[in-house]
Amino acid sequence: MLIETIIADLSKDPFNPELNFQAAVKYDSQNQIASAVSFYLRTAEYGKDTHPSLVYASLLRLAKCFEQQNDRLHTVSNCILQALAYLPYRSEAYFWMSRFFERQREYQESYTWAELGLHNGQKSDPTIDLEFTDYCLLFEKGVAAWWIGRKDEAVKIFNDLLAYDLTLEYRESVVRNLASI
Amino acid sequence: MNLVQKAVAQGGKLAPLAIPGTFGGMNPSVFIDPDGDILVNVRVVNYILFHSENVQIFPSRWGPLAYLHPEKDQRLVTENYVVRLNNDLNITDCTKVEMLNLHEPIWEFVGLEDARLVYWDGYYLIGVRRDTTTNGVGRMELSKVEINKNNWSVKEVSRTRIKAPQPDNSYCEKNWVPVIDRPFNFIKWHSPVEVVSVVGDQAMQDTLHFGGLKPEKDQRGSSQVIRWGDHYISITHEVDLFKNYLGQKDGIYNHRLCVYDDELHLIGISPEPFKFLDGRIEFCVGAAEHNGDLLISWGFQDNAAFILQVPGELVNEMVAKCL
Repeated sequence: MLIETIIADLSKDPFNPELNFQAAVKYDSQNQIASAVSFYLRTAEYGKDTHPSLVYASLLRLAKCFEQQNDRLHTVSNCILQALAYLPYRSEAYFWMSRFFERQREYQESYTWAELGLHNGQKSDPTIDLEFTDYCLLFEKGVAAWWIGRKDEAVKIFNDLLAYDLTLEYRESVVRNLASI
Repeated sequence: MNLVQKAVAQGGKLAPLAIPGTFGGMNPSVFIDPDGDILVNVRVVNYILFHSENVQIFPSRWGPLAYLHPEKDQRLVTENYVVRLNNDLNITDCTKVEMLNLHEPIWEFVGLEDARLVYWDGYYLIGVRRDTTTNGVGRMELSKVEINKNNWSVKEVSRTRIKAPQPDNSYCEKNWVPVIDRPFNFIKWHSPVEVVSVVGDQAMQDTLHFGGLKPEKDQRGSSQVIRWGDHYISITHEVDLFKNYLGQKDGIYNHRLCVYDDELHLIGISPEPFKFLDGRIEFCVGAAEHNGDLLISWGFQDNAAFILQVPGELVNEMVAKCL
């Protein structure tokens, strides 16, 4: 659907979380991330009591928008933390937090968030793309484990991961990591 | 009233203005030039406005309203892009305005902000600049620009910083709105209407219409002042300020249509304010008559830019309600 059609629909129902989310996703897909931010935020604020999955996704995608802008790390982590606090039983935000710290080379934090996610994350929503599949937390834990001196644990995790139906990208990473450990 | 909803329902058209290669645009100013081209100046910034609405349950780390600039660069930098639209309001040409390098910015707000586009003895971008002093004093500036339509490029060729009417001691002058068919004339203020003309770099108060209609709420300049039938019209904005839970200033923006006579006396104003998309921060910066309809351009939450074609009949209805 064209962005002008979505916005015209939105003008008739401006606080509708679904329409705001559609507008945000459309802007996001065009890399107009400043514009996407406003509509993700509106999705979160106006959908908090009615559309938990969209709100959760919006908060994580806000984090990604700010990450793409570079040099907004406090805001990136703040958005992920808000998602975590909003639906603490969901797995995706634990993964995002672990990956955030991995990218910052803060591996104990990355390991801890991965472990927290493996224990507390009870479900995810595959209908909205949040860059998450069920093995993502284990992968992050394996990477962080190696960096904090838990080599044997890392090897075991990567070997275990080979049994999963991994995407090509993850499979190549696992194989590469095993080869270099 | 939601003007987008009403205009589209009556046959108008809404179009987003997304500047390719940027993260978004804001506060666009539409103008029909002497060739009949639909031109829009779009402001592009290096920050994202984080503005939580509703009950503000998901604020940023710095509160519900924060300008999220790079964490290691506190400047709020503005650049301007001039685009040309076709009659379907799609962008056909786009270029960044090449500004003269006249000084090193010495304040956090960098660049020409919320510039309105006009054509007088040439094209001008007219906005506020606050980067010439160490404490952010704002003055309106006239940036004369050349638009090369062959290779679609726009460059600033001269700049004039306008002194406010004497004693010129205010901190920040902004949102003076140009009167399209009266070169170097502006409505500086609306309560009461204050018209100033600029000679050289000095603005002089021409008229102060104490006796004219006085709006109930303070009206601030938004669109240019343009001709509509027997009147002048412009769109103004008003702000309902409130303090958020951190005690920070926050606001809800609304707009109204203002109608003036030939001497720029305010003779009518929308009885009810209107919004565009029901965002708390919306800011109209441009209006232009085009083929009997009114084009209005505005920014949404400082993060997106839109243009709306409002059918002439609806504008006539709105004008009639003002009078």
